[in-house]
Amino acid sequence: MNDISDAELIIVIGSNTTEQHPLASTRIFEALEKGAELYVVDPRKIRLTDFAHAYAAIEPGTNLPMINAMIHVIIEEGLINKEFIEKRTENYEEMKKSVADCTPEWAESISRVPAETIRQFARKYATTDKAMILFTMGVTQQTTGVKSIRALGNLAMITGHVGRPSTGINPLRGQNNVQGAGDMAALPDYLPGYQRPEWPETKERFTKAWGDFSCLRGRNIIEMFNLMEEGTMKAAYIVGENPVLSDPDQNHTIQCLEKVPFLVVQDIFLTETAHYADIVLPAASFLEREGTYTNTDRRVQMIHPVISPVGDSKPDWEIITEIMKRIGMNVDYQSPSDIMDEINSTTDLYGGITHERIKKVGIQWPCPTKDHPGTPILHVGEFIRGKGLFTINDFEFLGDQRSDEYPFLLTTGRVTHQYHTGTMTRKVWTLALEYPHGFVEIHPKDAEEYGIQMHQPVKITSARGSITAPAMVTDRINEKTLFVPFHFAESPANRLTGQNLDPIINIPALKVSAVRIEVEQ
Amino acid sequence: MKNMKRYKLNRENLDQVLNQWNRKTKVYVPTGEGKDISLMPLLEGQRTEDYINLTLPVKEFVFEQKEKLFSWEKNDDDLEVTNLAHQHAAERILFGVRACDTYGIAFTDRFYLQEFLDPNYRSRRSGTTIIAVNCLRAGEHCFCTSIGTGVFSTVGYDIALTPLGSIYLVEVATQKGQALIDAAALHFTEAEESLMEKKDALRLQVEESFPLKMDLSNLWEDMAKTFDADFWLREANACIACTGCTNVCPTCTCFNVVEENKNLNKGERVRYWDSCQSEHFTRNAEHHNPRDAVSRVRYRIYDKLKYIEERFGYKGCSGCGRCTDVCPTYISIIDIIHATQKAVRENQTPAAVHQTTKIRHEIIDREINMKKGLYTPDIATITRVKQETPEIKRIFMKYDDPELHTNYEYKGQFFQVTVFGEGEVPLSIPFGPDHTDEFVFDFKNVGNVTNVLYHMKEGDQVGLRGPYGHAFPYNALKGRNLIFVGSGVAMAPLRTVIEPVIKNPNDFQQIIILASALRYEKLIYKDEMKEWEKIENVNIKYALKDPSDHIDAHIGYVNDLLPDLGLNWTNTTALVCASPKRIKKVARDLMDLGMKPSDILVTLETHMRCGAGKCGHCKVGSHYMCVDGPVFTYEEMMALPPEY
Repeated sequence: MNDISDAELIIVIGSNTTEQHPLASTRIFEALEKGAELYVVDPRKIRLTDFAHAYAAIEPGTNLPMINAMIHVIIEEGLINKEFIEKRTENYEEMKKSVADCTPEWAESISRVPAETIRQFARKYATTDKAMILFTMGVTQQTTGVKSIRALGNLAMITGHVGRPSTGINPLRGQNNVQGAGDMAALPDYLPGYQRPEWPETKERFTKAWGDFSCLRGRNIIEMFNLMEEGTMKAAYIVGENPVLSDPDQNHTIQCLEKVPFLVVQDIFLTETAHYADIVLPAASFLEREGTYTNTDRRVQMIHPVISPVGDSKPDWEIITEIMKRIGMNVDYQSPSDIMDEINSTTDLYGGITHERIKKVGIQWPCPTKDHPGTPILHVGEFIRGKGLFTINDFEFLGDQRSDEYPFLLTTGRVTHQYHTGTMTRKVWTLALEYPHGFVEIHPKDAEEYGIQMHQPVKITSARGSITAPAMVTDRINEKTLFVPFHFAESPANRLTGQNLDPIINIPALKVSAVRIEVEQ
Repeated sequence: MKNMKRYKLNRENLDQVLNQWNRKTKVYVPTGEGKDISLMPLLEGQRTEDYINLTLPVKEFVFEQKEKLFSWEKNDDDLEVTNLAHQHAAERILFGVRACDTYGIAFTDRFYLQEFLDPNYRSRRSGTTIIAVNCLRAGEHCFCTSIGTGVFSTVGYDIALTPLGSIYLVEVATQKGQALIDAAALHFTEAEESLMEKKDALRLQVEESFPLKMDLSNLWEDMAKTFDADFWLREANACIACTGCTNVCPTCTCFNVVEENKNLNKGERVRYWDSCQSEHFTRNAEHHNPRDAVSRVRYRIYDKLKYIEERFGYKGCSGCGRCTDVCPTYISIIDIIHATQKAVRENQTPAAVHQTTKIRHEIIDREINMKKGLYTPDIATITRVKQETPEIKRIFMKYDDPELHTNYEYKGQFFQVTVFGEGEVPLSIPFGPDHTDEFVFDFKNVGNVTNVLYHMKEGDQVGLRGPYGHAFPYNALKGRNLIFVGSGVAMAPLRTVIEPVIKNPNDFQQIIILASALRYEKLIYKDEMKEWEKIENVNIKYALKDPSDHIDAHIGYVNDLLPDLGLNWTNTTALVCASPKRIKKVARDLMDLGMKPSDILVTLETHMRCGAGKCGHCKVGSHYMCVDGPVFTYEEMMALPPEY
């Protein structure tokens, strides 16, 4: 994270960093103070654009053409890092062929980013030594999410911007422990430490620790909800998640939760999702429990309780341990550090990270042994897979596009003073006052066309459903594009978003939905 | 305090002294490491001397982040209110406070203990003894020496220690401090005069070592010239309204009041620190916000560097640098001072008039006719309700305690009316001095509180605090022509003058009331106007948007009526209540006719939460609308920073 301050060029794509990662953005400001340049790609003129040296007002869902065009320009103008490509990567020629037609003019026709701007981005990125890319959901939550990330990988590799300080492509995590949850296999296709269940050594290792178990790939959240709808899935246990507001297509989500025969919800407050539960298990908050969070920097950090759990609530690990016992598993965790011991022995990335070692300062994984200092930068000298693999990422339109019926593209996101579905932040008066309700950002020209005044309620409709939110007329959003924050149950953006998925990993395209608007009289 | 004594203390005996004090009174000492230093109870941690400053100012001990003001409970239709302000007092000694924070305490003492006395602050402050330990080195953003609040404590402490080699020079400033010395007398011996010289030499040496030295002698002039400078936009664009700066400031005093733990039958009102850097701070009903992003960010800097000192005579910034330390987007009061000075050097811009014009401040000690302290309302019961217009109600009420009516004095411009469990709103006084045993309020249903109030009926109970505010100067109006200009519910604040004027019409020349509304139905006081009109020197004129059969009204703005009034304009006073925009239009037309801006009286209502010049929400420049106003002359209004 501190490497950001030393960068000479920072490209921010699909990340409203100042508002969503204020402390990461502090490092951007530090870099700017030291003379770095900032380039921003976003369909909204986010705050960072006020400080940016270049800004690409991109169409939602079209990062991939722009990235491929940047690669095209860098190759065409001979700005590639030949030595890096030769020594550290493979499949370059195939990739090169795949972007041969991706001219900036072609990308402009799709992304509305002027070809010259794309060239400027490409040249600056290729010719700056310490150039780093920061991104978040604005890149991933698209039908081309995976391809876009892989294309960013190509971009970083042709220029050698990997494995050195203040370079790389850097995802900023949306939650304090989303990295840790992924590390611990809150993912359908991995066991902890990104170990594939189909690898024989994985099965052997975990059978030793846990006893015999099926060791098969699980289901992702989209698949699970579809199984609930089909009636195949008989029970669901949702921990610390509020899919009624956070998942796409709210009406569908609610139907599924109503249909599943047995639903358990475990959370610190009674969420919108908990209203559909058969059993609600009250969990303790971060102030009431011990454990670790792994942050966006892969740094595993301790938390310590400052108050006892309120009422009958319990830390999640205790609840889960009790349930494991009740269903007949032989477990005996006395404390979170017992669980950490098990992680140490089963997960090499965390092999040497003990509570004792991280009492004061966290350690960045991979940290295989107890005397290993941790790893601040990945892919130094060699990629984890060995050679860096160039990939082919052809762009195609998938999912929602503007049409006569739905002439706007809706993108969703957050505001500074609310967090996710507001289960916590909307209970705090000062945050609630700052953003008391949702809104829809609309360009002044569109507002004029539809006769919409500031704060006037606007009905927004997609193929999935309708919501109403007061208008925020602002030229900080592209024309024929709308923005709605998804925090607010009264105007839930995710009633509009749909099941358009990235075909590779099924991430929903929350950032791109076709909608129409009507003025509420 | 004069004639206070000086002692010396062996540094190695300090712990013994602290322990001895701690047996009787809880002693808090600096604990922690690096930049993470907090005052912790002596026995719960390891005392450190290796620190530049406390992470947070000691202010939080005397003005807590959250404090309960009162609780209320309903039993069999009877409301009981309990003041909670005096339940905080606990004796404690705060040790190791730096000069910037003792200066902050000196200011907060001035702020909370004078004019309207803040009972919560007093209850905490009276039990608190502050022991300063003078700094020997500066932090990265320390600039107390530039501001003039440090480097050694000069105010706001009971005892100050200065490390001089193996001893401390101990200076006692108060009786409270002296009592502590006496309680550990064995360890203290009288200090020889030469130690003061040593201290002065040390002070110069430390001051010299400060990396940051700024010449602020022309700061106010520079600020007056850069009020509209370009750099403010950049600062405003950076601010994400996290409010970190105000949360760590030793001189930030603002708070918001919030209803908590409430149900139909009981609840509490608490106050929390609030921040002028949040968007909601000045937001009025119906989305109106007098401050945009630039004026919000600029306001904090002007308040700290100018407005506070202008009104209270204390530096508003103690130079601790904490706001700069914590800002996630690198907004720095130090950089802004530099940018201000640079902008003045590079561009010759005239000074903004509102930064150079002095306006009256109402600084007086205030007694208030309340039974339970400043923030706790007294209960009143609604006696009758009149539907004044389709959107406006008149609610009549009496204090449950008749003594409050006996002691009531006609003054001020508004009351704070509490709807228990919902909140509090300022409502103008629409009645004259004769209403001593029954009050009445006229209001429109516009927000959460007025909405509940609107649906209340006879026998329901509310809370009252007041009267507050600087009122229209009734006696100064005698012998003059008067014009009252009010649109819709805005006539209510004028009625407090209209009533006594109507009772004594011979004290005045021509009395003209210009009543306006969109439609006839929306006109307020229709029946009374007909009565008032019967008086010989009273003339009532109406301006409506839509024509009406009921009255002979001008269709258009009230401004159109002014030229035909044919008054001797130099002997005329106008009393205007309207939106700032409309006030300006009316005032300009009146001035075109020959009126002086000082003869146009306006009332500036805004987001007032406490009514007593403490919560900070209604502060415009160095003026509190709730105590210095809401009544100003137009001349004064034009000299306020452009938030109206």
